[in-house]
Amino acid sequence: MQAKAAVNEKPVHSINNAFASKFAKSMFLSVCGLFILSFIGTRMFTHVDLNLYGYMVGTIVFLGGFFYRFIAWGERPPTKIMIKKGIKLLFRKSTPQTTVEHLATYRFIWNRGIYRWTQHLLIGWGCILACCVTFPLVFGWMYFTMDDNGMYNIILFGLQIMTVPANGIIANLSYNALNITAVMVIAGVCMVLYRRFKNMQARAEQKFMYDFLPLIMLLLVSITGLALTFLNMFMDGEGQPAMSLIHQWTVIITLIYLPFGKLAHIPFRPMSVFAKNYREHYGEQSMKKCKVCETEFVSTEQSNDVVDVLHVNDIQFEMEEGFHLAELCLPCRRKYRIAQFSGFPTHEVKVKEANQNAKG
Amino acid sequence: MTKKRLYLELENCIGCRSCLAACTQCGGHEERNRNYVYDVNPLVNRQTMPLMCLHCVNPACARSCPAQAIQIHETGAVLSALVEKCIGCQNCTIACPYGIPKFDTEQNLMYKCDLCIDRTKDGIPPMCASVCPSNTLQWLTDEEIENKKQQFNLDNGKWVTSMALEGETNVKVNLPGILQGVTKLF
Repeated sequence: MQAKAAVNEKPVHSINNAFASKFAKSMFLSVCGLFILSFIGTRMFTHVDLNLYGYMVGTIVFLGGFFYRFIAWGERPPTKIMIKKGIKLLFRKSTPQTTVEHLATYRFIWNRGIYRWTQHLLIGWGCILACCVTFPLVFGWMYFTMDDNGMYNIILFGLQIMTVPANGIIANLSYNALNITAVMVIAGVCMVLYRRFKNMQARAEQKFMYDFLPLIMLLLVSITGLALTFLNMFMDGEGQPAMSLIHQWTVIITLIYLPFGKLAHIPFRPMSVFAKNYREHYGEQSMKKCKVCETEFVSTEQSNDVVDVLHVNDIQFEMEEGFHLAELCLPCRRKYRIAQFSGFPTHEVKVKEANQNAKG
Repeated sequence: MTKKRLYLELENCIGCRSCLAACTQCGGHEERNRNYVYDVNPLVNRQTMPLMCLHCVNPACARSCPAQAIQIHETGAVLSALVEKCIGCQNCTIACPYGIPKFDTEQNLMYKCDLCIDRTKDGIPPMCASVCPSNTLQWLTDEEIENKKQQFNLDNGKWVTSMALEGETNVKVNLPGILQGVTKLF
């Protein structure tokens, strides 16, 4: 039946038909994008730093893993809904504030503890800044030239954006950007390791592969990176070529690991802005009333979405009383379960739940 | 090591809330309890029953999570949200048939019973079961649960538990014999 329908359908001329899969399409487009950007950035490949070509290959391998992981993830029914509606609601008044709080200042981690916030800020911003320096250098989007002796031109995407004295503040910050971020990351990772060794709660849950491996990789990347500077400045470049290969190896391993372990939360975290917008927007539109106690507990849209997702997963929670379990507020849903156990309709007794917080 | 399960004999509950207090002390729970104790008929009598995550075999919370933050441990325990993955959408709280997951708005994080995974993965009973003074919460092997089943057979070919849950769960629940009119011998 389906095959018949497909035959009768008119062939749709869409760019999507040109690719075997979403993966192939994403890979092709992003490699093309990188190629074009590099073409522009390096002024038609006249300023390529071939010393960094290993990172270029590493990045493309990373993209393979990244798309594999994230396309599979995006196909899950709840994820699909969240991404689709999140993009639709992207331009809300509160989006800039939410984005800054969730992705830049990590306010929610502050609420989990100041120590944890500090370590996350150091590692997070250390990595972000390092990426902002490394990738433009690798793909030739940023490079330096010197016309006059003692004056550097900073070239971004083929455009000369500023000329700075070679021993000035900006120039020194640029030379040392990766050293500064390395120190930030090392400090952050040390704080994390200290917490993971000392804190009993962390010790109960952590696993080597999930919690320690990414930390060890970040530490290796930062230390070998700093070692490069050290060898250049104090050892007359002794052993620098070997160290540069070791550093390259650590960075590429980290990149390949990234989509599959704990670090996968980096590219994935912007979803929390989608989720916040989703809850705010549909919460303003209409709220769902609990079928038992009539308190408004969630937006109608989210309630419907969750019911749909459960149906897609073949989970049916329709009750004899004529409601779906997702239509009850949380306390009523718990009391309804007690009612199912005992045979007495606990959820219909108008008494607020109490003494649930183990505070005596 | 034989696999053990959490097994609830609901009618034994005396409402002491030891399980709530014990839950706060589990590693990773940050001194907040993740289980509940309810009065069955609060204005009439003192019968209480505990309620905690029943660790569904096909958990609705994990199915509805857009972030894959709720992982299922190899022992079958449905774990609390991974702190770095949870995006705070609260789909899990809406999906859970028993209303178990709790949400911390400040931390933008869901937390739920993880069956004290640091203990149970090594065969040690979860905090709640290890403190329960009335044998409401027990930590038993499948064989022992099978024996209980026969002890409370209701003569209708069904073990009453199966009627009250939405799907197969890793935690086994026994319905109160008192309310079913079945005399229970301790």
